[in-house]
Amino acid sequence: MTQPEVFADATKAATGSPLIEVSHVDKFFGDFQALKDINLVVGHQEVVVVIGPSGSGKSTLIRCINRLEKHDRGRIVVDGIELSDDIRNIQEVRRETGMVFQQFNLFPHLTVLDNITLAPRQVRRVPKVEAEAEAMKLLERVGIPEQAHKYPGQLSGGQQQRVAIARSLAMKPKVMLFDEPTSALDPEMIKEVLDVMVELAQGGMTMIVVTHEMGFARAVADRIVFMSDGQIVEVGPPEHFFTNPTEERTKLFLSQIL
Amino acid sequence: MTTTVRSRPRFYRDVRILTWAFQLLVFAVVAAVGLWLWGNFRRNTASSGIPTSFDFLSNPTTFSIPGADFSPNEPVRNAYIVGLINTLRVSIVGIVFATIVGVLVGIGRLAQNWVVSRLSTVYVELFRNLPLLVLLTFIFLGVVLQFLPAIADSWTPLGWFVFSNRGIGVPWYDGISGWSLVGLVAVGGLGWWLIARWRRKVHERTGRPSRGVLLGGGFFVLALVLGWVALGGGITLPAVDGRQIAGGIRVDPSFFALLIALSVYTASHIAEIVRGAIQAIPKGQSEAAMALALKGFQRMWYVILPQAMRVAIPPLGNQYLNLIKNSSLGAGFAYFELTNVTQVTVGNGSPAVPAFFLTLLFYVVLSLVTSAIVNIANRRFKVVER
Amino acid sequence: MSADAMRPPSRSGPSEWMRRNLFRTWYDTVLTVVFGALALYVLARAIVFVFVDARWEIIEVNLKLLMVGRWPSEELTTIAVAVAMTGLLIGLVAGLVRGRQVRAGTAVRPSIGSRLADLAGRFSLLIGTALLLLALTDTAGPWTMAIATLVAGVVGRLVGGWLGSRFLPRWVTRLGALLIVAIPFVVFFYLNRAVPLAAWEGFFFNITAAMAGILLCFPLGVLLALARRSRLRLLQSMSIVYIEFVRGAPLFVLLLMANVSLEFFVPAAIAPSKVVRAITVFTLFTAAYLAEIVRGGLQSVPRGQEEAATALGLSPFKSMLLIVLPQALRNVIPAQIGQFISLFKDTTLAGLALGILDMLSAAQVITQQPAFRGQGLIIETLVFVGFLFWVGSFTMSRESQRLERKIGVGER
Repeated sequence: MTQPEVFADATKAATGSPLIEVSHVDKFFGDFQALKDINLVVGHQEVVVVIGPSGSGKSTLIRCINRLEKHDRGRIVVDGIELSDDIRNIQEVRRETGMVFQQFNLFPHLTVLDNITLAPRQVRRVPKVEAEAEAMKLLERVGIPEQAHKYPGQLSGGQQQRVAIARSLAMKPKVMLFDEPTSALDPEMIKEVLDVMVELAQGGMTMIVVTHEMGFARAVADRIVFMSDGQIVEVGPPEHFFTNPTEERTKLFLSQIL
Repeated sequence: MTTTVRSRPRFYRDVRILTWAFQLLVFAVVAAVGLWLWGNFRRNTASSGIPTSFDFLSNPTTFSIPGADFSPNEPVRNAYIVGLINTLRVSIVGIVFATIVGVLVGIGRLAQNWVVSRLSTVYVELFRNLPLLVLLTFIFLGVVLQFLPAIADSWTPLGWFVFSNRGIGVPWYDGISGWSLVGLVAVGGLGWWLIARWRRKVHERTGRPSRGVLLGGGFFVLALVLGWVALGGGITLPAVDGRQIAGGIRVDPSFFALLIALSVYTASHIAEIVRGAIQAIPKGQSEAAMALALKGFQRMWYVILPQAMRVAIPPLGNQYLNLIKNSSLGAGFAYFELTNVTQVTVGNGSPAVPAFFLTLLFYVVLSLVTSAIVNIANRRFKVVER
Repeated sequence: MSADAMRPPSRSGPSEWMRRNLFRTWYDTVLTVVFGALALYVLARAIVFVFVDARWEIIEVNLKLLMVGRWPSEELTTIAVAVAMTGLLIGLVAGLVRGRQVRAGTAVRPSIGSRLADLAGRFSLLIGTALLLLALTDTAGPWTMAIATLVAGVVGRLVGGWLGSRFLPRWVTRLGALLIVAIPFVVFFYLNRAVPLAAWEGFFFNITAAMAGILLCFPLGVLLALARRSRLRLLQSMSIVYIEFVRGAPLFVLLLMANVSLEFFVPAAIAPSKVVRAITVFTLFTAAYLAEIVRGGLQSVPRGQEEAATALGLSPFKSMLLIVLPQALRNVIPAQIGQFISLFKDTTLAGLALGILDMLSAAQVITQQPAFRGQGLIIETLVFVGFLFWVGSFTMSRESQRLERKIGVGER
């Protein structure tokens, strides 16, 4: 794993200065070790796509980055703040990171607009009028301003996921985490969500994306991280990854899904 | 687990410390309320000179319990035991009755026969929405004490039963000890089990119908009757003797009313559970069984009921618990179960707080035991299912 | 027979229906005949009893005692006002709910006529019973009350519908919510000033005690549910001990206990009245059951909801209060209604345990009046009392089933 390019070194940021630093992180679920000595540095405005077979620890990794799961060993630093048992640090990191889930997890009892304005108003104490104006801008950005006053149950899956992205963006996060954002969508809706994500990446957002969408990875990723059995097996830019991967496990995985 | 060195947050921001501090705070509030209550209790009882210990259990009872071989000189402790037994007696019989009626009515609601399903619905909706106490009062004051005739002109259907407002006479076994009866049942049951096993083997080997229930049950009845006669057992029929019922066994009017009310009321809830459990089985199960050419009874017995049982057991257990707890209403109708014993002994000078505390403890333990049994049954059915 | 066999069986018609649903097999025929005869016999006896034999004058004479106990006649207007206020409140809430649906565009819009017909059908038993009670009275008071309540309800519904369908400034909605929460308390103090709580009797006691119990148990019940579900071990075990202990104990025994021993646990200066004791026990008792219901509701909210709220930076407290709890409570509304029905029926125990003159006790007491003593009229009074409880809980349970279907369909 000692390739000359900076892209192949997980412990260095590919673009810009480091924003997220994960070093020597282990995570256990009971006796099962979900993450084994993970080292990864993500730079400002970098887009990292994490791929790998199911159960390989991809989701656990990004869920550790905003403390939905607590890591057992090692250090995770986001924007200079270490995730420790310090409640202030934890809240601060969560404010700086947005997360989009596979199952959307929109709040069904709130309208689309309320879904988006909830966190800015409650956490950042933005006045209602301002928050709503900002929310409408975000809805326009994801292409569904006309749905603002509907409830999530009235929207299609693709629309719901776009609202979920807008909801995360409303907190003005420094980094966006995507946990298989298109896996629960019907095929015809995947594109509308990916388009929003591509636009986001081109706008300079730092992103970590867990996905099976290889087309998206090839087009947008600065680096691809391949994980298996809780370990990072291989890291590299897309062209390296899809043309001549070095590790056997990577080759096997790619041959199965491509 | 070793941890790499990491900067320690200050204590007032440490999640681990905060969660414990929060818990201790809540605990402190609860404890303070508890201590306040306890302090009031100590002060109030001390100022009025009321004992707070359980010494009263050794005092003489000073009241008699109808229908029990119990003298007023026995300690309160023994009265509690009689009460507990009476609670268990009405509860167990009630549970059996309520289950039988409830299952029948529950299946009846799904019957294709219009009259049966309508009547079952009326039964469920009528009794489920009545307060149990209204039902019990009605049965005790309205039916038992008012409709049942005085002992002098009691009804004696077939000469087998005696119905009067002094009590209900029912045929009972006679001339044979309870233990030999248990032995006979055990022998008959063992024979039934062996025959059923043999017939099942035959059925598996040859495919001929097993008829295990018919033959085994037949043996059971035969063994019981023959053993009975051989051991010189008989039956006593109740009869009116002056102002009393002689022979048979006399069922107290209050026991009768409580039993009927509890059974009828609980059965209406059980019927709903049974119906819900059967309807929860996907239609495909029934259709698959039909496609295999199983007959109506076979579909029910081999396919639907085993699955429905699994759904029904937890709520059924809840109903049994409710029935046990509701049996405390017998206290209002002169049935000497646990609550009534407590109430009367408190009235006769036992200290209220320890006396009732003990009773509550009995009920809580009864509930825990019942739910433990239900849990075991539940687990068994789950394991069998897989 | 042969001619019939040649024809294909007809698929409709009363004879076919009877063949299929009454006389399909020989044992079906037996069941139909036996149970049909039994049903007809019981029905005939019941009709003869209700319309011929029963001496309902005991109810007519004692109607006030059964309904409100010994509430002074000159203070009856307070009850009328309170009932009308309740009508207003119900109308307001119904209107607001409806208005919100209209605003969100999820409302179905059948004609007013068909909606009224639907309401009349669903509550026909309740309406019929109210008319029956009115027919039994010989003063103008109850009629005035009924009409005032109806008017208040309609006004509330219209105002609520108008308010609910509009976007209002936040202070208006806050104030409105506060008012709606305040109305029950205002009504309570208004009633309590006229006749102190300790003297509330009759059906009025049964209804108010049940409402008080279900409202007051809410804070404790929700807290217990949250504690039981939390990962904080100490809180969890305290909650489990409380819930299991209370659920293992019979309500009747708890009431008896409160009757003879509650005064030991509070300072001597506070001498709780029987009604207060009853409501205290109802509250503490129902809280344990409500806790289990709410726990079920919390479990029905997907984990992702809490995770999403956390990921947005909401504190655990806020994500519980704003995201999880509203959904959990909404999902268990039918179960909460079931708990209310059960408490409503159980309020009769207070009469037996504490000697409060509730409707059931009154039904027994009036048969001892000189004019009616020893005439076996307990059947009449118990049938009447049972009927009122039955109508109430039957209507509520049917409404809760309807809601359950609606919630089940509406979600996701």
